[in-house]
Amino acid sequence: MDKQEATERRLSREHLLRLAAAAGGAGLLSRADKAQAALDWLNAESGRLQVLDWAGYGNDGGQAMFAQYVKTHPKNKPQFTYMTNESDALAKIHAGLKPDLFRPYVGWVKYFATSGLVQPWDPKLISNFKHLNPFMVKAGQYKGKQYGIPDDWGFDAILYRSDKVTPKARSWGLLFDERYKGKISWFDDLEMLTIAGLYLGFDKPWRQTDAQLKRSQKFLMSKKHLVRLIWSSETNLWEAFGSGDLWIAYAWPNDWVQMKKKKLKVVYMRPKEKPIAWVGMFMLRKGSPRPNLAHAYVNAWSSARSGKWLEDNYGYGHANTLARPSSSDLLKALQLTNPKAVTEPSAHLDRDIPRRAVYARMWEEVKAS
Amino acid sequence: MDVALSKNGARLLRVFFTLVVVFLYAPIAILLIFSFNKSAVPTFPLSGFTLHWYREFLGNSEIKAALETSAIIAAVSSAGAVVLGVLASMALTRRFFRGKAAVSALLLSPLVIPYVVFGISLLLLFHTLGVPRSLLTVVIGHIVISLPYTILVLVPRLDQIDVSLDEAAFDLGASRLRTFRSITLPLILPAVVSAFLIAFTTSFDEYAVASFVVGTRVTFPIYLYSALRFPSQLPQVIAVAVVVLILSLAVVVAAEVGRRIAERRFASLEID
Amino acid sequence: MAIADAGSSRGHIPRRRRLRVDLTTPTLLGLPLAWLAVFFLVPIGIVAAYSFDVYSLDPGPHSFTLTAWRDFLHSSVYLRLFWKSVRMSLTVSAIVVVLAYPLAYYLALSGTKRKYILLLLLIAPFLTSYLLRVLAWKVILGNQGVVNTFLFWTGLRSPDHPLSQLLYSRFAVMLVLGYIWLPFVALPIFVSLESLDRRLLEAASDLGASRLQAFRRVTLPLSLPGVVAAFLFVFIPTLGEFVTPSLVGGANGYMYGNQIVDLFGTGFPDWETGSVLAIFLLGVVAVLTVVFARFLQPRQVAAD
Repeated sequence: MDKQEATERRLSREHLLRLAAAAGGAGLLSRADKAQAALDWLNAESGRLQVLDWAGYGNDGGQAMFAQYVKTHPKNKPQFTYMTNESDALAKIHAGLKPDLFRPYVGWVKYFATSGLVQPWDPKLISNFKHLNPFMVKAGQYKGKQYGIPDDWGFDAILYRSDKVTPKARSWGLLFDERYKGKISWFDDLEMLTIAGLYLGFDKPWRQTDAQLKRSQKFLMSKKHLVRLIWSSETNLWEAFGSGDLWIAYAWPNDWVQMKKKKLKVVYMRPKEKPIAWVGMFMLRKGSPRPNLAHAYVNAWSSARSGKWLEDNYGYGHANTLARPSSSDLLKALQLTNPKAVTEPSAHLDRDIPRRAVYARMWEEVKAS
Repeated sequence: MDVALSKNGARLLRVFFTLVVVFLYAPIAILLIFSFNKSAVPTFPLSGFTLHWYREFLGNSEIKAALETSAIIAAVSSAGAVVLGVLASMALTRRFFRGKAAVSALLLSPLVIPYVVFGISLLLLFHTLGVPRSLLTVVIGHIVISLPYTILVLVPRLDQIDVSLDEAAFDLGASRLRTFRSITLPLILPAVVSAFLIAFTTSFDEYAVASFVVGTRVTFPIYLYSALRFPSQLPQVIAVAVVVLILSLAVVVAAEVGRRIAERRFASLEID
Repeated sequence: MAIADAGSSRGHIPRRRRLRVDLTTPTLLGLPLAWLAVFFLVPIGIVAAYSFDVYSLDPGPHSFTLTAWRDFLHSSVYLRLFWKSVRMSLTVSAIVVVLAYPLAYYLALSGTKRKYILLLLLIAPFLTSYLLRVLAWKVILGNQGVVNTFLFWTGLRSPDHPLSQLLYSRFAVMLVLGYIWLPFVALPIFVSLESLDRRLLEAASDLGASRLQAFRRVTLPLSLPGVVAAFLFVFIPTLGEFVTPSLVGGANGYMYGNQIVDLFGTGFPDWETGSVLAIFLLGVVAVLTVVFARFLQPRQVAAD
């Protein structure tokens, strides 16, 4: 693989011509950063596209999502690094990873847009853009610029074994049910504090006051002894849930699909406090040397064909409104025909948490307790 | 009468020893058994013999790339560690200088640093300097980790060698470098090889530090760790596991046997 | 035993004058020490700087502050987690040392001829892949794991009632850590018992001491340095452990090392707090090492 890359990187004649042109150009440009920009342009669009994505969306099963891209850009095949959540992606970028694009979820649009780490997309370069759900497209904007291109979407809700568990109510409370000590799984993300806030009935779980946060944290700490596993990778959840180590879990629609495939009796419950909905947002790293390739990659992801594949295989919705799954069950369960399935009144769309660092610190303390 | 152990005591200890060895090898044996098992999930009862997983592993380019990456990193970092280790060990055994205790403490201190701490230290170093992560950043970390192991192997060997041999060569007009090349190095060669192998296995197996400084080309332990979290690939991974396990056992045994043979030969040479 | 200090002080006649790369002490030590300075000491210094907010992820001016340290020392959560990890590591270390002692004793003192082969047999698993050994236990311990399916298969337990708390528990972490370190621990104990002068035991016996008395008065005290070294060599790495707990520990087996990793990773990056936790751990380890340094002589460990 890397030999191939080396060959690709070897200076071709065309490259040399470009180098000469750039050298001439750099002479004219007085400022060093402009010279750097020229050099970047020179390197532009060569090498493998660097993608930072969630597990399951790369060469580990998600190939269908970008098959079109690989076909048209065989010399710039994507190379993947995996993230376990947005904080992890952020940490990796801080630590020197230089992905061309990565995929945080909708609640992080504002954070990244204002972080200086990403640049807006040019929707004109994405031919499938016009088919994308307008509500989700809007959710990917910040100050009128398209920082996020919506792709997959789904819910955070509760998965449980109907042959082992009888919920007292359709509620997030099932994640905190004393009767199922040792059989419950939470998700390793500060979002657990938002869910606790929802369950405790706070009106703005994403903007909890200090007192409310304190209560949410205390609540989670008092229930943590019930929890067997705080999962951070879906496959880890599938393994533990599939083997019967877990009966109840915070989960995504795909987890439900996967457990049904294992012939388990499972219910994916939408709690009365409402599930939290999310939309994946491709983001382009500022300084990426391969912006055109990144646009092409996102375009492949945005096609109706990729969308249908995602719905059929992962049980998630897709932002392309032309994409329709084969199964009508799924269509209904995810309300795929409802363009506003991800927002009120059916769900809370995940949103920006202004005091994310405070939430994060409190969540880390819950795990440590 | 044996002063340390009664007959029954020895028998009891032998049974205990056997039990522990069984405990140590049973999990490895279980991996071996399931690597030939048809079912994709490692559960009893066994579902029939297959070589499928081994074939899949041979066709899995990601695993092979990871193994190759680890081999490169291990080779380069252990070569580096051995060079530094020989230099340091020569100084520790052949020179007097002030602060020797402190120097040797520093040289050995990577032995006791928790790897998680060292990992983030390197992460912050490279972050602060703006060094992008690559194979090189992992090599740098692994040299630090392996260095004390090489010293621990080399120092005792250097201690055994009669210094008068060096002095003789030196007095006959050889430079120190030349003395080292033609006298000392051949004598410590078995220990050098042994140090290299220890450094190699340390690096090849190292996850914690690498996980903080690895670039996009992942090492085998890092691949393995993510595969451990993704059970879909489990049977294949078990097959690779068995291959790597057996190879590393073979290397360890060969290194040990080789070292003993070589040492015996050199011991007799020295007496001559 | 060593020859004179600086090369120039001896009246030697270099054959090739142009080659002035000679193995003087600075030449020998320069490179290793420089390497450790740049890639070991300086990085630790940077972590310390982060913990005092001298360096920081956030842009803008920074000045020395003790805030993160004060928060840490006042946070009962982190200190309790540290204490929990200490207890887990202590338990593991104590158990493996107690188990390893008789093994080493058998090898060193039973007079068996194949002791080196047996020793190799014992420590070989330690030299194979760490992650693979964890993997083996994951395969063994799960609800549908080898242990449980074996019990179902043999009818010793019904599939509806598996032994369910094996995996993802504190127990699993301690079992796996013990399994991983047991072979290694036998080594320093073996070395100290091996170097024991058997004539001491014979003398004790001649003076009428029973084997037990001889063991308590002679063997045990003399092998104590090996025992302490063994103990530390397990305790220190397991205290900072994060790989095993993240794979088999679940919520309850979460350790201090995991917290450090998470503060640099999945938790919204909080490098300041993470650095404080790291430096604190390093400090504890350094104190332990210095206190027990006399047991950790290089020869002690190396003389296998």
